[in-house]
Amino acid sequence: MSQAEMVMGGGHGAVAEASPYGIPSRKLAMWLFIMADAATFGAILFAYGYVRLASPNWVRPFELGSIVNGLVMTVILLTSSLTMLGAVRAATEGKMAASQRWLGATMLLGLAFAGLHLREWFKMFGEGWSLSQNPTGGSTLFGGTFFSITGLHLLHVVSGVVALAVVALLFKRGRLHAAHVETAGLYWHFVDLVWMFVFPLVYLMNAR
Amino acid sequence: MKEPTLRGYTMVWAGLIAIVAVEAALTYAHLSTGTLLACLLALAFLEAAIGLLYFMHLRYERSILFWSIVPIMVFVFLFMDHIWPDALRLLHMRPPAP
Repeated sequence: MSQAEMVMGGGHGAVAEASPYGIPSRKLAMWLFIMADAATFGAILFAYGYVRLASPNWVRPFELGSIVNGLVMTVILLTSSLTMLGAVRAATEGKMAASQRWLGATMLLGLAFAGLHLREWFKMFGEGWSLSQNPTGGSTLFGGTFFSITGLHLLHVVSGVVALAVVALLFKRGRLHAAHVETAGLYWHFVDLVWMFVFPLVYLMNAR
Repeated sequence: MKEPTLRGYTMVWAGLIAIVAVEAALTYAHLSTGTLLACLLALAFLEAAIGLLYFMHLRYERSILFWSIVPIMVFVFLFMDHIWPDALRLLHMRPPAP
């Protein structure tokens, strides 16, 4: 998008200064949202660290199977970021069909991540874990922190899949542009980036 | 600055997968909790930096965007670090487990 298009993007002859960041307002807004969400995840991860450090009877319940599941989930999410980049590149080059395929792949990978995550959750529920229960007799704060953190991330993943579906549909219909696909891609990469902290701190640090 | 091709992004992706593999290997390397935590955090920040710069294109945007985002987030996270002495105080105040 040219400088003039950015300035006049408000339409109707509105006169505005060009952004010093050289990006559209929607992209800057997404970055601001990402900063706020990063602070939220940071706070919840710090709170987890706090209660863990202050708990003398903290348990480390994850067997190798859970860690392998987590690794597969991590690879899936990283791959979805790659497919998202493919979608943005195809959209920018005007390749609608390719962009739709890449977006579809990203959504499928996101759903696969969510599916594996929920499978892990239900396995833990079956073993007696919950927000306030610890079947091993250790600190019940493990369940509270684990399900809160991973639940908040899972909510972001599912929301992201829904958002990508909407963007893909409206982009196909010509109501959104490649720049919108790029902005949605920023959110998706952020969700992946958060997992880069959640997985080692919550899963790997609690490996048996 | 020219953005990478999809091939280039695939190489970045491979690098991130390699970092995850290193994290998994360290988990089973019988390190002390503190050492493992430090290593995992360092690798996580490395992954985050790679993701921010390449996947989120921060490297290819104007530098003012980087300087508007990164320093303030570092400041926020550094301030959150003030809670650790209280966590240790709480740990030492607890009666021993029965």
